[in-house]
Amino acid sequence: MNRISLPGVLARIILALALIFVAAPLVFMITASLMPASDIVKMPYRWIPKHLHVENFVHAVAGNDGSFIFIRNIFNSLVVASVVSITTVLISSLTGYSLSKFSYRGRDLVFLMIMATMMIPFEAIMIPLYMVITKMGLQNSYQGLILPFLVNAFGVFMMRQYLITFPNEFIDAARVDGMSEFAIYRQVILPNTGPAIATLAILAFRSQWDNLLWPLLIAQTEKMKTIPLYIVKFTAEMHTDEGAMMAVALIASVPMFILFFALSNYFVSGAAVYSSRKG
Amino acid sequence: MSRHHASSPLKRHQDRWGMIFVLPAILFFSLFSFYPIINALFTSLFRKKVLSLKPPTFIGLENYHYLLTSADFWNSIRATIVFTLGTFIPLLVASLILAVLITQMRRGQKFLQMAYYSPAVLSSVVAAAIWLLIFDPRGLANQWVNFVMNTPGVDHKWFADATMVQMATMLVYFWKYVGYFVIIFISGIASIPPTLYEAARIDGSSSWQSFWRITLPLLRPTVVLVSIMSMLQCLKTFSTQYLFTQSGAPQGPINVITMNIYNTGIRDQRIGRASAMSIILFAIMLFFTWLQFSTSKSDEVSY
Repeated sequence: MNRISLPGVLARIILALALIFVAAPLVFMITASLMPASDIVKMPYRWIPKHLHVENFVHAVAGNDGSFIFIRNIFNSLVVASVVSITTVLISSLTGYSLSKFSYRGRDLVFLMIMATMMIPFEAIMIPLYMVITKMGLQNSYQGLILPFLVNAFGVFMMRQYLITFPNEFIDAARVDGMSEFAIYRQVILPNTGPAIATLAILAFRSQWDNLLWPLLIAQTEKMKTIPLYIVKFTAEMHTDEGAMMAVALIASVPMFILFFALSNYFVSGAAVYSSRKG
Repeated sequence: MSRHHASSPLKRHQDRWGMIFVLPAILFFSLFSFYPIINALFTSLFRKKVLSLKPPTFIGLENYHYLLTSADFWNSIRATIVFTLGTFIPLLVASLILAVLITQMRRGQKFLQMAYYSPAVLSSVVAAAIWLLIFDPRGLANQWVNFVMNTPGVDHKWFADATMVQMATMLVYFWKYVGYFVIIFISGIASIPPTLYEAARIDGSSSWQSFWRITLPLLRPTVVLVSIMSMLQCLKTFSTQYLFTQSGAPQGPINVITMNIYNTGIRDQRIGRASAMSIILFAIMLFFTWLQFSTSKSDEVSY
């Protein structure tokens, strides 16, 4: 089977070219973050930095005005993304548990209504949401950044599907042992939904780490801005210091890459779960 | 569902807890999904500005009438459609080809999947910032294109030219998401029973024939799913266009609907008009979601 065939060679060439296309901008980001600006926009681009220009990172973190606001912005992104992934997991699992293991009047209607919200794109309701948050006096606050993303329909759907197959015997046994209904959720259901929770938490964390539009509406002071807003501002102001730009980009990407290398299976299962979503 | 319990008082007590457990979600979705969309529909019938002290005036469908006769809005529709078609068709074709090729490999499948997927790990703003530098007149994009086309020293004006700046946004999106769809296609291909290929091979069919006769027809549901999913995503695109225009790219060619909603509603504070745009975007996406549900239902295949 080891003979070299023309289609086999062609396939490898296509895969290799695609690999270069995909990887080159990432390598560019990393190498450029270590070069002085004069080396970055140079023909031809030198892929290996001559010497490490770490000043880029100092500039990236200190910012244009030396205020070090980037650190605060990173902290903000961490807070928002972490809180959102925790609440998404908790509320989705609680709701999914209710919708899969209890029977009460209106249950299926509730499920249908929650599923219907999947069809409402965030971009179409951001203006009224902005008015709601403003009316609550929560613009420019963590609560304002977080509230609209506490839970999402996809999370509820995923947890419900996951829990439908959860054996009722475990729940009944816990009831016989005299556990309260909430204790059953906390001690029987939650610990047994690990993979689903991990997938969901990563999806939620990423979507907030990536969120530009909503913080653009809500965060009005530099102090409340998140990483994507900082990048936009830094890029718009610092068009000439390309090295520092890439340093900012790299710093913003590091947490996601750590998560990705540690938990790549859950990243992929997020994509796969999403694709198995059927009417 | 523990139906074998019959409807005892104990059972009713339990189910009451079930209702309590669902309350937070009901409250959340009412306040942050249903209220806003109804509010948008309602507001779209008014002339309303955020800071104005005047109460909003009811103007019926005038906002819609205004939009449908506004060159600026039609430009946004055009920009969004061009971006969507120009992105999702190449995405679909490329990710399908790559997925099929990867599954043919005996080694390195996992590595290639992960490598192709890695740009999807970056946030959209980071992706846009990287490509902003690549599209610099002296950047990598010109160097590569000139190398491939053997046209040394030509500046392809990635940002100065209206067509090129649209291409640039598509390329960023394509780069970021191609691996994501490769993975979805691979899981689709994995669900095709290998016995079908064995049978085909015994019958003497080449792998080329197997692709056209087995893989592609059985992958139809995944193809439909990926096209609609990527289409829905493309219709909502915002970050790349926003970062590019903030960094000096011309706004007109890439003024997609979401950017127009943002600028109309937040910068110009015309809430009524922005709401009408939101409702039109919602209607378009609703249509595609409906298409997704109806096709994925009729496409349930069993092997």
